[in-house]
Amino acid sequence: MYVYIYDNFLRQKKYSSLIKAMEISLTDYGIAGKILRLNNYTDAKQVIEDEIKRGAKTIVIVGNDGTLGQVLSRAATVDCTFGFLPVGGNNTIGEVLGIPTGVEACDVLSRRRKERLDVGWMNNRYFISQLHVYPAKVEVLYDERFRVTASDKMEIIVCNLQPFFWKKSKKDKDVQVVHPQDGKLEAFLRPLTKARWFGYNYEDPSIFPFEEMEIKSDEPFVVEADGRKSKEIKLKIRLAHSKIDMIVGRNRKF
Amino acid sequence: MIFQQKNQSRGNEVSHHSEASGQNKDEVETVVGPSVNVEGDFSSEGNIIVKGMVAGSVHTSKYLSVEQGAKIMANVRAGSAQIAGEVKGNMKVKEVLELTSTARILGDLEVKTLIVEAGALISGKVMMPGFESEVKSARGPRSSVKKSDESEAPVAAV
Repeated sequence: MYVYIYDNFLRQKKYSSLIKAMEISLTDYGIAGKILRLNNYTDAKQVIEDEIKRGAKTIVIVGNDGTLGQVLSRAATVDCTFGFLPVGGNNTIGEVLGIPTGVEACDVLSRRRKERLDVGWMNNRYFISQLHVYPAKVEVLYDERFRVTASDKMEIIVCNLQPFFWKKSKKDKDVQVVHPQDGKLEAFLRPLTKARWFGYNYEDPSIFPFEEMEIKSDEPFVVEADGRKSKEIKLKIRLAHSKIDMIVGRNRKF
Repeated sequence: MIFQQKNQSRGNEVSHHSEASGQNKDEVETVVGPSVNVEGDFSSEGNIIVKGMVAGSVHTSKYLSVEQGAKIMANVRAGSAQIAGEVKGNMKVKEVLELTSTARILGDLEVKTLIVEAGALISGKVMMPGFESEVKSARGPRSSVKKSDESEAPVAAV
């Protein structure tokens, strides 16, 4: 039995025709199911566990990167198969998983090509897409073997499934893309150097693939993981292997 | 390949490295950017590009590239390497070591194939395993000749 979790933004009128087309396509494939709508205060884990008790075998998340992060960061430990139907903008993970945006995603879902995906673990919770440490004076210890520091502030982005987009400067029109690999987390460190008068300039990023990493600072720094912000002094990040059973497409990037 | 760019310019840079010597350098895995300091036992299973400063030890079984302006103050072990920056420490390279005109090496080199561009500076011993084996083989017959001389000498005395 399939259960579909729709993001709240899909209530907007501009998505109604697309959602209708997708529902028709799912019915044609014989994989239509119960629809639940996600709110800001919905506990995804509780909802999914309730549905599994009622006999659900596959949970399909409908929305964008934010929706996938919101649901899977809570429900990574739940034992069931997950599917993803990317709809609208801000959909980069769908591309990594080989799932096209819109009605074509239903075709990928119906084929049920399954893979076990790795998930990132930080302090006490999972993250699916990306972890972002805002610019701060931090020190990074990789796999307890080597230490990375910068003369001033440093911005850190740890990618699990979401690709990393960056520009050399604000004026630079070419967006550089780095696709993460499966089997390792990738940390992108961008040191900041002081500009001539005020403000900071970003340096070229350093890239370190790792399995375990520790970020320390004397002052609290802001961390954002799957859209949730918190302040930390010490952050331990590691990779949890083969945690999520996910339906993926043929054109996946791993 | 990790690096992908919409205008392919970064891709060109990576492929430029790959032309330099035989191994597969397209898969750039670890990059130490400029104004970043790395201290400790820095090892990677994939390719390493150093643009900043590394102290301690560096180890990769694949390709190492030290770019101009980069500094390594460590013993280095690599599959193959291209050096355009400064290295203070002993280097052990399994295959090809390429030194560009801006390279500065302070330490001993142990390498199979060495390519040195005009202007590169080396201060240290250079050892090549192929040459060592030739010397051994050359020493082998000489000692046998000596032995034969010694054995013949008493005969001549008689």
